[in-house]
Amino acid sequence: MNKNWRWLGLAFVIIAFVAFLAMWLFPDSIRLLRRDNTWRTMQTNGVWRVGMDPSFPPFESLNDAGQPAGFDVALAEQIATAWGLEVELVPIGFDSLLDALQTGQIDSVISALPFDERMTQDITYSAPYFESGIFLATRPDAGIQGVEDLVNQTVGVEWGSMGDQVGRRLHTTTPTLQLQPFDTPAETISALVEAQTVDAILIDNVTLRMAQVNGAALVAVGPVLESNPFVIAMPTTAYELHAAVAQQLTTLQATGGLAALEARWFVD
Amino acid sequence: MNIRWLRQLLWPAVERPRRLLAIRIGLLLVAGIGLIWGGLWLWRTYGTARVPLGPQQTVVTINSKIGVHTRLTDEVEPWKIKRTLEMVRAMGAPWIVEYFPWAYAEPSPGRYDWSHHDLVIEHANRQGLTVIARLGFVPEWARPKDSTPLYLAEDQFPAFANFAAEFVKRYAGKVEYVIIWNEPNLSLEWGYQPVSPEKYVAMLRAVYPAIKAANPAIQVLAGALAPTLAPPGSADGMNDLIFLQRMYDAGAADYFDLLSIHAYGWYSDPDEAPAADVVNFRRSELLRAIMVENGDGDKDAMITEGGWNDHPRWTRAVRPSQRIAYTLRAYELAATEWPWLQAVGLWAFRYPWDAKSYQDYYTFVRTDFEPKPLYLEVQRYAEGKSP
Repeated sequence: MNKNWRWLGLAFVIIAFVAFLAMWLFPDSIRLLRRDNTWRTMQTNGVWRVGMDPSFPPFESLNDAGQPAGFDVALAEQIATAWGLEVELVPIGFDSLLDALQTGQIDSVISALPFDERMTQDITYSAPYFESGIFLATRPDAGIQGVEDLVNQTVGVEWGSMGDQVGRRLHTTTPTLQLQPFDTPAETISALVEAQTVDAILIDNVTLRMAQVNGAALVAVGPVLESNPFVIAMPTTAYELHAAVAQQLTTLQATGGLAALEARWFVD
Repeated sequence: MNIRWLRQLLWPAVERPRRLLAIRIGLLLVAGIGLIWGGLWLWRTYGTARVPLGPQQTVVTINSKIGVHTRLTDEVEPWKIKRTLEMVRAMGAPWIVEYFPWAYAEPSPGRYDWSHHDLVIEHANRQGLTVIARLGFVPEWARPKDSTPLYLAEDQFPAFANFAAEFVKRYAGKVEYVIIWNEPNLSLEWGYQPVSPEKYVAMLRAVYPAIKAANPAIQVLAGALAPTLAPPGSADGMNDLIFLQRMYDAGAADYFDLLSIHAYGWYSDPDEAPAADVVNFRRSELLRAIMVENGDGDKDAMITEGGWNDHPRWTRAVRPSQRIAYTLRAYELAATEWPWLQAVGLWAFRYPWDAKSYQDYYTFVRTDFEPKPLYLEVQRYAEGKSP
């Protein structure tokens, strides 16, 4: 065996080992070697293809002209404008959105999409832009600051809903809490605000914000009791897109842009 | 082949004693890895299975027709299987429908692995539950390459019959009901072939006698048709009412003992009148009428899938409060007005993991075993309490 070949082989093994060690210790460094084709294609074409199921007002639905409109549509347009891109809204059934993303039919999903930890190996998610989970809500003058104040209180829930489930959970730790079920969210809110037959309600944040923006005198107290955050989904390889979305969401949060979207779209 | 150069490359000029030491260390490492792997295999195979069955239980309920379709097929942890079945019993449901895939039990021809099926059936029996076993899911060796596990060619019907016979023989006295296949009127469930009532009857003709020969006491359910309004010639499937009539025309009556019905309510209440162009809970009555018209009125039926969904975005869903009210009414309707129906196995008790789709809103219990309000209301109903 030629002595040079032996050294060459040894050098190869050492280089491979060091490279493997570096990738293992600093996984982010691998990104330097990869291209974000999603982001580059968006820049080349000047278009951000966003998948959504326009059947969930106020986040996305079809307006009188048959065009998608709503919180998510406006959010996508604002982000794209900041990038100097056009938005192409691609209507897709809710259960097929992530498949469409993974097969490259779209660049992102913005469709009141809840975060799913189980999908994080296949999908990259943004930070939440809206928390749709269950909150305790009450009248501003009710003197209830959180679930610790529910002793001997009557709490309204929509029968069978996640709010009902959270209420039954609270009942196990606060047995004097009385749950009052109603058939619909509207009846539940009415019982709190108008009839005042309940002291508080457990309700999802979409319904709560809709009621607030439409003038109902009720406030959320305490932290979210069952989280269900809405996020933007992107391909795992789209790390530049992910960073750009993160930056835009941070900006919108800091400048009140997200609050303005709620005020604009959470109306009857 | 001379590999001396490779040895020299990877292991240059090492002294013999050191080489021997390295070989010994290597062998020790291999033996250690082998021991760890073997220990893990033993623990997975036998250790986790040692979840005690517990004392014999009975189901206490005011409605003996309450049932659910469990989803234990892919539930690998024995304690979760036991916990699921305990909760079914505690809800007051005496019946479960469960899927027992052929591919899991017979991974190669004639070589059986019953461990998972044993686990489910033993725990179900111990909880006092009656098991309705759904059979299907073709192993790779019994179907062409690149076909789906729901594809079964006619020349493999005897192999399926053989498996079904082995199944009912093994579980004699433990499983009294088996369903042959699932929703054969959907192309998806028929291995993406054009659906064919006649071919399904050919399957029944092959499987039924084999089952009866192996265990004459077993009751064989057929049908399990998907409620669908698929138009004639649809590539997706065939209208269930038409499919059932064609089953009878092909001579199905002699090859099943009960009809399996899928009764989904979609957005209608359970009392909505049945109609041929509507999918609702009482569509079951139309299937029953076809049985009677074909002189099969002496046979009973069972609902082995069905129910309502309360997903906030699915177009065929109802409000959560409606789902509870409709479900309770469906169980009551079956108990008081449908003497020809033995059980109502609604879809689905619990999933092993979240589907993160509308499917999650069919369940009675969350994946973490927290009961949904629906579960607690059915439990109250089964105890004779008002909602």
